[in-house]
Amino acid sequence: MEAVLGQVEQLPALLAVSRSALVRGWDPLTLDRALEWARYFQHLHDRFRARPQLREALGRRLRRSQPCPLLGFPALGRCPQLLGLALLENRALPPAACRRLLRSLVQGPGAESGPEPRGLVQGPGAESGPEPRSLVQGPGAESGPEPRGLELLARRKAAACLLALPRRPPPRPAGPEAELQAELQRDAALVAEAELQTEAELLLGRLREERQEGGEAAGQRRWLGRALEQLPRPRAFQVVAAALALLTRAGDTDGDGSGPDGHPGSAAGEGCTAGLLLSWLLDKQERFSAFCLCLTCSRLAFLAGHYSQLSRSYLDLLTCWGSHLHYDPLQGRWVKSCLDKAEVSWEELKERFSCLCQGSALLKEQTQAALKLLRTRDGDFRVCGLSVWTDLLMEVGY
Amino acid sequence: MAEDTTVPKLNFDYWLDKAIEWGQATTLESQKDVCLHLPQLQEFLHQLYETIKLLGSTVAIQQFPLIGQLLGRLCWNPFVIGYDESQKTLMLCLCCLYSSEPQNTVELKANSWIRSLLCHLLCSSKWESNEAETSTFISALGYTSADYYCRLVKNMVISLVTELRENQFNGLKIQESTSASRVNAVSIFCVPLITLPDLTPLLETLLFYHGGSSKEILSSEFLEAVNEAFLKKKISLSESAVFSLWLRHLPSLEKATLHLLDQLFSIRLNSLEEVAQVIKDSLLPQAASHPAIFRIVNEIFKNALMETDGTSEVMTIIQVFTHLFLQTHQNEYKQHKFPLKAYFPYHHQLLVRALIRRPFELPTAYWSQHLKHISDMVKALVEDINISSLIGLFEIWYLVACFGEWLDIAAEQLLKAAVEPDAVLWLLAFHYCPKNENQQRTQTMVEAEAVYNHLMKLFSCADLSLKDLEAAVHRIRGIEQCCNQRLTAHLLTYFLLFSPGGHKLAQECMYHITETTDAGKEVYNLLIRTAYRFNRSGEENQRTVKLLNELLQKLTLKV
Repeated sequence: MEAVLGQVEQLPALLAVSRSALVRGWDPLTLDRALEWARYFQHLHDRFRARPQLREALGRRLRRSQPCPLLGFPALGRCPQLLGLALLENRALPPAACRRLLRSLVQGPGAESGPEPRGLVQGPGAESGPEPRSLVQGPGAESGPEPRGLELLARRKAAACLLALPRRPPPRPAGPEAELQAELQRDAALVAEAELQTEAELLLGRLREERQEGGEAAGQRRWLGRALEQLPRPRAFQVVAAALALLTRAGDTDGDGSGPDGHPGSAAGEGCTAGLLLSWLLDKQERFSAFCLCLTCSRLAFLAGHYSQLSRSYLDLLTCWGSHLHYDPLQGRWVKSCLDKAEVSWEELKERFSCLCQGSALLKEQTQAALKLLRTRDGDFRVCGLSVWTDLLMEVGY
Repeated sequence: MAEDTTVPKLNFDYWLDKAIEWGQATTLESQKDVCLHLPQLQEFLHQLYETIKLLGSTVAIQQFPLIGQLLGRLCWNPFVIGYDESQKTLMLCLCCLYSSEPQNTVELKANSWIRSLLCHLLCSSKWESNEAETSTFISALGYTSADYYCRLVKNMVISLVTELRENQFNGLKIQESTSASRVNAVSIFCVPLITLPDLTPLLETLLFYHGGSSKEILSSEFLEAVNEAFLKKKISLSESAVFSLWLRHLPSLEKATLHLLDQLFSIRLNSLEEVAQVIKDSLLPQAASHPAIFRIVNEIFKNALMETDGTSEVMTIIQVFTHLFLQTHQNEYKQHKFPLKAYFPYHHQLLVRALIRRPFELPTAYWSQHLKHISDMVKALVEDINISSLIGLFEIWYLVACFGEWLDIAAEQLLKAAVEPDAVLWLLAFHYCPKNENQQRTQTMVEAEAVYNHLMKLFSCADLSLKDLEAAVHRIRGIEQCCNQRLTAHLLTYFLLFSPGGHKLAQECMYHITETTDAGKEVYNLLIRTAYRFNRSGEENQRTVKLLNELLQKLTLKV
């Protein structure tokens, strides 16, 4: 068993090398070995996924060997794809090895009967070398590993392009311009929504994996932050919002948000994941403010309705924004005190409070109570133009 | 294999031209054109791969200098990549062209270009973009493009399905024309993807989609392709989706029926249970609960029967089909059932009702009576029609023939429990000889009576010899009228099965019949039908059952 643990420790290094310029020195045999190792790791994953103690041990050893724990036990299952695709994109790989790689990517393990990786020390008892991957899919309908080549991936990518096609403009002969534009916009929005959903699902899947592998909170937060940094900021906010929205539906049997493992999350577990996402959002005031500015009022109101942490912080933020408005008697309305983009106008503030009041009963109550409290503190005026809170309350109908 | 290089070479220019043509056009027409050519293109790519895989990359490029152009253009056509196995063959071709030891800058460039193409196909970049690197976010999560696209396709399918369902219940007239063309477009874009399992929910939603207009919204390419895939068992659809397909697209239904007949002709009719299974798997009996489908399938069967001059195999298939149809029909909820008239609009309803009664619904003792009832009705109908109008006669004959179970029981009843044999015998005579222009049927009836009386006399005899039956066998041999031949064969076979004396002679007599007459096939079919009937109803007489099995075994080898 110790031997196996020692091998598993090599995975991060293997992947790192595959992305680096070190592959320059690889010949076809080295490549073969690397691919065999990947298949072997996948084999380990399939063997041990139903055995919690071994699974945990492997997971722990894997994390130990990485500076920032990125890969957990489930990554073992995705090894052939991770390695293969990383090598495909690595331009430093020399031609001979590359040719071998291309064959293996397209044809799968195929003719080579997949012997043990050379240099493997035989562990005790049950763990023999990797069996050649048969063409019949093993147990468990995973979305990840495919025994054959990657043609299904290519097919699916083309499918994604085709399914988006009706929503992109073919030259239309007839139809009023405005209608056409509206249709196009709607289409584009639907496609973007699907892509967003996918990213959110993957994010949730990964977080679930982390949680199940027993990752500790601080490490997870760091990792989450780093991952979200890979996206442009507005996108990251959208993804997190979509993920939080998905978690509110965690009771569905649709399986949304379930990772490649296929395990639906428990209610407590989902709560943890949500907590993690929220803590990332609320970590920095600036970030949270940008988040609220980025999302639509209705979306925010929806999320606020489900996450009390969020609603509280949001109300605080709105309070802050509201207090920066002052009344201009000449124009007869509330204006921003400084032209800071990170602040909202009266109209927008009004809109946001309206949305909150259209939410769940609890949220409505909360909002109302907050506004009333603010009005009182401000002097409890019942006339326009003196306190922004009074005016707001009047606008939202109280 | 070297000679085969001429084959793809001939078509190479054609396909290159096509690829160029498709690459530039973005109209629906050109997209439809791609869809039409996808199967042949796949075949061509396969041949191309088989050719170049034996050559080295250098030689391949020498032989097909424009191959890079062709493959490159095809790789950027999502219709081609999305179809069946085309993407695999294309990628294999690319691998063949990749050289492991590039000698010059040209080859290096070619290698790099192949790499880019494969990245474009496999990495999680946008389809249109030229930079093909896996999104950093996805890799930061530890996932690959494989995970990404698996989920993306699923989500897009869900999104489209939701949109279509909402459209369906929308009912806003303004959007009707736009939504119709959009749905039509969606159906075209789905054509290459039909065998991709992720798409099944979308396929079903499309098949159930009705836009409110009377014209068909879905493209015919789509409907045909779905039908093809279903017939070849490349996809699994829900039953109601298949029925919806057939109801809205007549050519698909026709194809499905002909496909079933082809299947049945190619397998050996060893047992009707096998035949029944094949028919059931085709979903046609279940679909036939819709009267429109039933009538069309019935017409096709009728034509098949006429084209094969009424061979007993085809008739048997039709009988099994009718039987399965009845089974399904009677298992349905009373509320959802269509009235009989919907299925048999031109027929005498009482006759239909009588024929539809399944034997097990009546006590055995009542069977003769029931058969007489049927016979009387048929006789009345037949004698009513103007004899020269053969079409009417054929329809009646066909209706009765579909319910072949009753005809077999008629023969059995004649020998076992002769209650009013004349009527029952007439029914059989009519079945085997419906026309009576030159008094053929009357003549048949007369001869049949003779045979019948002869056999009934011998029925109770314990000690029979082949000689006693010689007269009957002789009738089956070369005679002028084949009607009589078949009827006599029927009676004689059942005589051997059901009479105690006949049992001993059965093997010998059967052998005699098959050796000296050409009624072997006919008798064989009769025996299988009887076995099928016994399996379902359970014949009490064990000796009969045993004998039947023995005879079948012997005949199976011969026929």
